[in-house]
Amino acid sequence: MATFELYRKSTIGMCLTETLDEMVSNGTLSPELAIQVLVQFDKSMTEGLESQVKSKVSIQGHLHTYRFCDNVWTFILHNASFKNEDSQETVGRVKIVACDSKLLSQ
Amino acid sequence: MASSATSAVYIHVIEDVISKVRDEFINNGGPDETVLSELQRIWEMKMIQAGVICGSIDRSSGKKQPTPGGPITPVHDLNVPYEGTEEYETPTADMLFPPTPLQTPVPTPLPGSTDGSMYNIPTGSSDYPTPVNDNGGNTDVKGGRPSPYMQSPSPWPNQRTPLSVDVNVAYVEGRDEVDRGTSHQPLTQDFFMTSSGKRKREDFATQYQNGGYIPQQDGAGDASSEVAKAEGSNGSHFLGRHDSATAAKSKILAHLARSSSKIPQLDGPIPDPYDDMLSTPNIYNYQGVVNEDYNVVNTPAPNDLQAATPAPVAQNDTVDDDDDEPLNEDDDDDDLDDVDQGEELNTQHLVLAQFDKVTRTKSKWKCTLKDGIMRINNKDILFNKATGEFEF
Repeated sequence: MATFELYRKSTIGMCLTETLDEMVSNGTLSPELAIQVLVQFDKSMTEGLESQVKSKVSIQGHLHTYRFCDNVWTFILHNASFKNEDSQETVGRVKIVACDSKLLSQ
Repeated sequence: MASSATSAVYIHVIEDVISKVRDEFINNGGPDETVLSELQRIWEMKMIQAGVICGSIDRSSGKKQPTPGGPITPVHDLNVPYEGTEEYETPTADMLFPPTPLQTPVPTPLPGSTDGSMYNIPTGSSDYPTPVNDNGGNTDVKGGRPSPYMQSPSPWPNQRTPLSVDVNVAYVEGRDEVDRGTSHQPLTQDFFMTSSGKRKREDFATQYQNGGYIPQQDGAGDASSEVAKAEGSNGSHFLGRHDSATAAKSKILAHLARSSSKIPQLDGPIPDPYDDMLSTPNIYNYQGVVNEDYNVVNTPAPNDLQAATPAPVAQNDTVDDDDDEPLNEDDDDDDLDDVDQGEELNTQHLVLAQFDKVTRTKSKWKCTLKDGIMRINNKDILFNKATGEFEF
């Protein structure tokens, strides 16, 4: 089953990747096993986001760049604001990478 | 600081991943449960350091990491002073020269940096005037010149203080036997003494000869190899074109080229002297030590001290090669990487999600996203659904 490797770029994904890289460099872990761990991370992260998270966010901003390639949308926003139930954040520049949710369920 | 909600989700994901891969670790002949625990420990520690999960974690394994900033690297446990990571200079030097036992007592006092500077000044001042006096007494200008060099690489002689004393002795006693490193001192000094007379250079050249070979300093010589002769003449011819060098310079160069075949080379590949002359503006290249010349120019003190001591010569040659080239290469790489990628990936705020729908009406874009992780303003925010309205 294919997974979205998208979440490996997040903080938790990068921490895991770094940890696995260190262990493979040490020889503690084989590369194949490290890849298996990453694939499992993809699955667990997707499931965790679906089941564990309940919040809703609205995004507004000026669209500077848009790109759709290989079923992946990439937006670059300028002066964006993110409104949460609790809080609001504003950033000067943000990149949004979104994969097609329909691909997973196929 | 991470919110408790995101922290809880992350911990849940970590636990889920670890439990799912436990089978792989144990059953299929993979590494131990201990490796798996180590993986979990390090992963969680990195996340705590990144500030995305809270420090207090209820752990089933029972292993608690008390200090989030605990050092992971057990590799460099050689030297006590490595703990003092603020001292950028001393631990680096220690790590580079671990095997020599002479060094271990020296850097143990961390205020050794100040002690080192105390050692540094007398060492520097005693090193340089020695060749100066021997070479016919250029006094003040030469003595003054190298002192800036000595003080800039001040950390290096810290651990070399016992050796530096040897250097002075070795240099005085057996100049011919001492490696080319020490003989570089007059060479490098000479580079900057453009106004000094020709005689000084010729005197230096005289000193380089090992085994009592008396160089010919004028005219064409009965050189043993015609190749050297040709190279010498080519080199001098090149010099004649290149600048208004004096005849002495061309003679010295010709003589050096001729003598290049006579002097045994102690390390490194033998570069073609003619190519060296072409490629380098400084004409006083010495065969086999082309690279080290420039290193000595930049950091005269450490190379001199290292090369003069007979025991670590072999080490230091390799260490110098390892130091110089990777250092130079890495500087450029880091700069480029920071410029190109740092802005895009590291410092940029990022949202990773899945999209359900993306539509556009004229210049108004609307999208619905789901199951996303946002890294904004150094915070992690998770969402189940998101709606976006962007104006293009």
